Amino acid sequence: MNTNHFIHKDHSQTAVIKRLTECKSGEEITVVSVNIGHKQKRRLANLGIVPGVKVKKKNCAPFRGPQQILVRGTCLVLGRGIASRIFVKCANECPPY
Amino acid sequence: MSCHGTKNKSRKKVETKNTINIALAGNPNVGKSVIFNQLTGLSQTIGNWPGKTVEKMEGHLDFHGFHFNIVDLPGIYSLSTYSLEEIVSREYIVSDDVDLIINVIDATNLERNLFFTFQLLELEVPMILAINQMDLLRKRNIELNFRELVKIFKLPVLPVVAVHGTGVHKLLEKAIEIVVYQHYKFPNLTSILAFGKEVEDKVNNLTKYLLENACGSNQINYPPRFMAIKLLEGDPEIEKRIEGIEKYPNIIERINQFRHELEELHGEDINTIISSEIYNNIHSILDRVVEIRNKKHRKKYNISDVFDHLTSHSVWGYVILILVIACVYIFTFSIGGFFGELIDEVFIAWSEQIYLIFGEENIWIQIFWNGGMAGLFGAITGVLLYVIPFFFVIEILQDSGYLPRAAFLLDKFMHYIGVHGKTIIPMVLGFGCNVPACAGCRIMETQREKKISIAMTSIIPCAAVMTVVLGLVGRYLGLGWVLFLFAINFSVIILVGRILNKVMPGECTELIMEMHEYRLPNHKVIFKQTWMRTKEFIFKALPLIVVLGIILEIMLIFDLLSPLNTILAPITVIWLGLPAVTGVFLIYGILRKELTLVLLEILAFSLGLTIVDLLNPIQMITFCMVTMLYVPCFATIVVIAKQTSWKYAAQICFLEIGIALLIGGIFHFASVAIINFL
Repeated sequence: MNTNHFIHKDHSQTAVIKRLTECKSGEEITVVSVNIGHKQKRRLANLGIVPGVKVKKKNCAPFRGPQQILVRGTCLVLGRGIASRIFVKCANECPPY
Repeated sequence: MSCHGTKNKSRKKVETKNTINIALAGNPNVGKSVIFNQLTGLSQTIGNWPGKTVEKMEGHLDFHGFHFNIVDLPGIYSLSTYSLEEIVSREYIVSDDVDLIINVIDATNLERNLFFTFQLLELEVPMILAINQMDLLRKRNIELNFRELVKIFKLPVLPVVAVHGTGVHKLLEKAIEIVVYQHYKFPNLTSILAFGKEVEDKVNNLTKYLLENACGSNQINYPPRFMAIKLLEGDPEIEKRIEGIEKYPNIIERINQFRHELEELHGEDINTIISSEIYNNIHSILDRVVEIRNKKHRKKYNISDVFDHLTSHSVWGYVILILVIACVYIFTFSIGGFFGELIDEVFIAWSEQIYLIFGEENIWIQIFWNGGMAGLFGAITGVLLYVIPFFFVIEILQDSGYLPRAAFLLDKFMHYIGVHGKTIIPMVLGFGCNVPACAGCRIMETQREKKISIAMTSIIPCAAVMTVVLGLVGRYLGLGWVLFLFAINFSVIILVGRILNKVMPGECTELIMEMHEYRLPNHKVIFKQTWMRTKEFIFKALPLIVVLGIILEIMLIFDLLSPLNTILAPITVIWLGLPAVTGVFLIYGILRKELTLVLLEILAFSLGLTIVDLLNPIQMITFCMVTMLYVPCFATIVVIAKQTSWKYAAQICFLEIGIALLIGGIFHFASVAIINFL
């Protein structure tokens, strides 16, 4: 349940920062920043989507639909517009927050 | 008041009589309503929060000589201002009506649940933590250290298994101990909830400032520390309240300065800083509390995961979605149709008896039997019998966790219309009956979304409209014209969605939704929820329908409707090109849409003609078009008003009448012009 075990291997390697929508299903990633309006940003923060949190992309609906992610032990569905403004990098390459 | 909120409250309770007021609070889907049902059984009421359109669930019970009032608060994730539910909840908790909060927590999802617990603690109201689903956690070989939890939160922490009712009454015993015997000292919050040094300093500074300056101001019930945190976060509600008070000179500047300093320091937005710190706190708590007994134990690949995978699959998901919708229809219509026919037969038999005894010409019989009772039976066979099975299957889908999957799959499509995926749920229901569909719009989070979905749902062609269209245009003009009518109807739905999206302030919010694991629906909850919804319909909508039926019958008897025909003639005859009699039929159609066709047939029959003699093809299509679009039926209007306001219901009616007349008139004149030209 408590999955706060960050694996840090190589910090010098520059991590590729990409949008959540660009990740593949099943990829484990770390949130880097959330570039979104104040109100929705607060909502996401309350749900635990803050920089440094480890998430796993689960699935994505067809026709460029919403994204399913696993975060803090539960599955969240995020609309495409929100997901494309969440920037992430590969979980293994990131130092703990 | 503000600074002594809690203390005043507890002092008042020393002389507490026998009544204990409890608020059940927690995230969505943690088993709150199951606990609520276990405690209060059938003595529940659904109402609205005063002045708000948020549903209020209230129940009562007597236990150990005390009377308990229990309010089931809406399931929410935080106490900010994201939705109306959040504002209603926090205002209610700090009001004098609450003696104690029971915070229901899902043991299998402690992380997010405890975030809400932290927020509740800031409200400084006595609280019990009820950890639900302990059985599931133990199945995964995980144990919680309750002694440690009590030590950390300095609150009573009790395990419960809500579905079996285990531990539920212990909660009440604890509540009596706390509220009546005062075996409770409110913990020192800073020892539990302390933020990092920088944030904590600012919060303390603000709290002190509020304490020094705010004593005696009665307008604010919130504890100063909660206010300080929310002000830092830029909570618009609290800022508004504080701005009017002269005792806080320059407070807004001070807050802005603090916020700016913190954001500068952390390089993040203030909400992110505060939320991260709370989640970090939770992490360290979980490290102390969670004991994994067998680390090698892996969760087995269970049925829930298989279902989850299939129902959100990009091909099978849609196949299953269509199957599920088909099943909902078949179930609802076979049950509703079967019992409807039975009841119709009973009603006809009774009518014959009544006519035999009192005579058909008796004016009172006409008013009360033909008007009131016929309206009542009509509402039962035409609406209620479909509403009950509908609510029932929808509760099953909701409780099992299927509906969010449908919203996930259809989100993209719905965005073209300007709403997000969740709207599909009420809209699908609308094809059966608009009444439960509009009631189902309550699931939309924001008022804006709710209003738009209600407007769109109310134009979906329901079963009654389909009868009219198929019985008139389908029968005499063929299927092509039926499809033409439906195409127009759907264009209007999309048009209305787009118009409202432009007109209403605010922007289309995107989907942020938790997808719960599948679970076996709890029969008690389903039956009770179905009954509660049905009860609401029976007591709120049915009486109105009966009264309206009586009024219409009186108007018919005293021939008050023919003047109406004359009044409506400019619209019906000149603009729409319909025979004058249809004016009354369209008015009757507000009561039940299929009445327009039924009355037309009766008229034709009594004149010894067929409908073809009464209406030419263009008139048929115009008539159907207007019937489809002109106004939601009366039961739907009542539900819309209950969900939003009478003003909004009236606005929808006017909008739809306008659209119906516009399209009907254009069609009439265009087709006449084309025929003349040919």
